[in-house]
Amino acid sequence: MDGDEVILSMKDIYKEYPKDDEILQVLDDISFDVKEGELVCVLGPSGCGKTTLLRIIAGLVDKTSGSIIVDGEEVTGPGPNRGMVFQDFALFPWRTVQRNVEFGLEIKKIPAEERAKIATEYIHLVGLGGFEKSHPSELSGGMKQRVGIARALANNPHILLMDEPFGALDSQTRNQMQTELLRIQDETKKTIIFITHSVDESVFLADRILILSARPGRIVKEYKIDLPRPRDRGDSDFITIRKSILSDLEQQRKDLL
Amino acid sequence: MAQEYLTTPINKIQRDKWKEHIIKLGYIAISIIALIVTWWAIAVIVDKTYFPTPPEVFEALIQSFDNVPGIGLSMSTQLFSSLERFVFGFLLALITAVPLGLLLGHSKRAEMLFTPAIEIIRPIPPMAWVPLFFLAFGVFFGPILTIFIGAFFPILSNVVFGVKSVDQNLIDASKTFGASRLQTFSKVIFPSTIPHMMTGISVGLGIGWMCIVSAEMIGAKGGGLGFIIQSCYSLSLYDYMFAGMVMVGILGILTALFGKFIENEVAKWMGMK
Ligand SMILES: Nc1ncnc2c1ncn2[C@@H]1O[C@H](COP(=O)(O)OP(=O)(O)OP(=O)(O)O)[C@@H](O)[C@H]1O
Ligand SMILES: [Mg+2]
Repeated sequence: MDGDEVILSMKDIYKEYPKDDEILQVLDDISFDVKEGELVCVLGPSGCGKTTLLRIIAGLVDKTSGSIIVDGEEVTGPGPNRGMVFQDFALFPWRTVQRNVEFGLEIKKIPAEERAKIATEYIHLVGLGGFEKSHPSELSGGMKQRVGIARALANNPHILLMDEPFGALDSQTRNQMQTELLRIQDETKKTIIFITHSVDESVFLADRILILSARPGRIVKEYKIDLPRPRDRGDSDFITIRKSILSDLEQQRKDLL
Repeated sequence: MAQEYLTTPINKIQRDKWKEHIIKLGYIAISIIALIVTWWAIAVIVDKTYFPTPPEVFEALIQSFDNVPGIGLSMSTQLFSSLERFVFGFLLALITAVPLGLLLGHSKRAEMLFTPAIEIIRPIPPMAWVPLFFLAFGVFFGPILTIFIGAFFPILSNVVFGVKSVDQNLIDASKTFGASRLQTFSKVIFPSTIPHMMTGISVGLGIGWMCIVSAEMIGAKGGGLGFIIQSCYSLSLYDYMFAGMVMVGILGILTALFGKFIENEVAKWMGMK
């Protein structure tokens, strides 16, 4: 791994849904590569197909045409090399934190003792040591998403797919979680595809930002963010990039009208 | 400078909780007393032998545990037969309605196939089945099946509803971990339906118990509370007939409380409360 290996490759992805008697074009002509260890953010107007894109990569939804290759193999369904973090957490409410994190390991039929060991490790990685026995209903939003991240990571996926994972959190918790995510990525070296509505969030996190057009979503622009980390939101380069992306999005909105 | 904090000491919270409990108990007591007083008043106004006063019924109730005159049986043995029958009927409903509910909730085809038949049978009151069950299955299984019918449908519909209302996101989450269909079913869909199942059980317990009197009306092996009510009616032992009704009511409350209790305990145990 020299950090330049392409781990995910999307080619000419097109997706439509049937809608009444018509068809709804959701994604069109989506092609991009993601390299090992990269953090790619996807930004775009509401309803442009971001979630659909992520679910296609996850294998939860079938594309209409095109090809997606992950780890050198065509994606035909969900698989443990891709882990997903959901906007509304999607934790199993009847399972404790510990057993939520162990879920993927149970599916893999890993022995209980080893499962517990791995889960404990990831629970600590996300800073939830001491809450192993709590149920999701006893946790705050930020803590729930930490569980969601630990659960996905414990399965040791190559790519972490995150669909507006911090969208349900207040802005302070959100900023804190962004910093935490960067720390976690630094420790685990995961490749991350991160969907967000927030320009600020994408500039803070991303190595690369893909901007999608309004539906059908096409990649209209790509930004490579080379700012050193930790990034300062008040930094003039940060603000410049942010402004530029905002005007791109504004343009998308205008095109829609 | 001394600072003042807005605080509620823990012992005050506990004290308030106690107060709440006592107030609740107070209301329960008032409600029951009002019921007895109303009953008493009606009995006095109506002044008929078929409407005895509460003390008369209370006396008959105490006496009935020794034996019911004219029948020669005691309330406790009858109560036991009823409970036994109820437990059998209810368990039978549980072990059939749960798997069928899981199937119907899960498979569209099964639902399309079974629902029309089920919807035709459902509105037939359990009591209407009594003669048929009695003829076809005799004095032991016949009454049990009446209770079965009463408990079956509430459990079934709650389980079907439970399966259908599983959070799709949880199913997706399970799939992203590479879970097979069977694993998703056993680890996600089934546990999600448990709280609904408990609601079904709770409702089923109540309705099943309401069927006990009809189940035993034509005659059931070992009598039962329904038998007491019925035979005291024909023997004009109205205070004993009322005692039987009171027993059905009291046991009904206990069954309902038991249902609520397991519903709550399971929810707590599953971390949903
Ligand atoms: N299963 C489906 N069947 C039919 N249409 C769908 C389905 N899923 C999504 N769509 C439609 O596809 C479009 C894109 O949806 P998607 O959820 O991917 O957008 P999004 O970019 O994630 O939006 P948001 O920013 O609001 O989350 C929407 O118009 C939506 O109504
Ligand atoms: Mg979305």
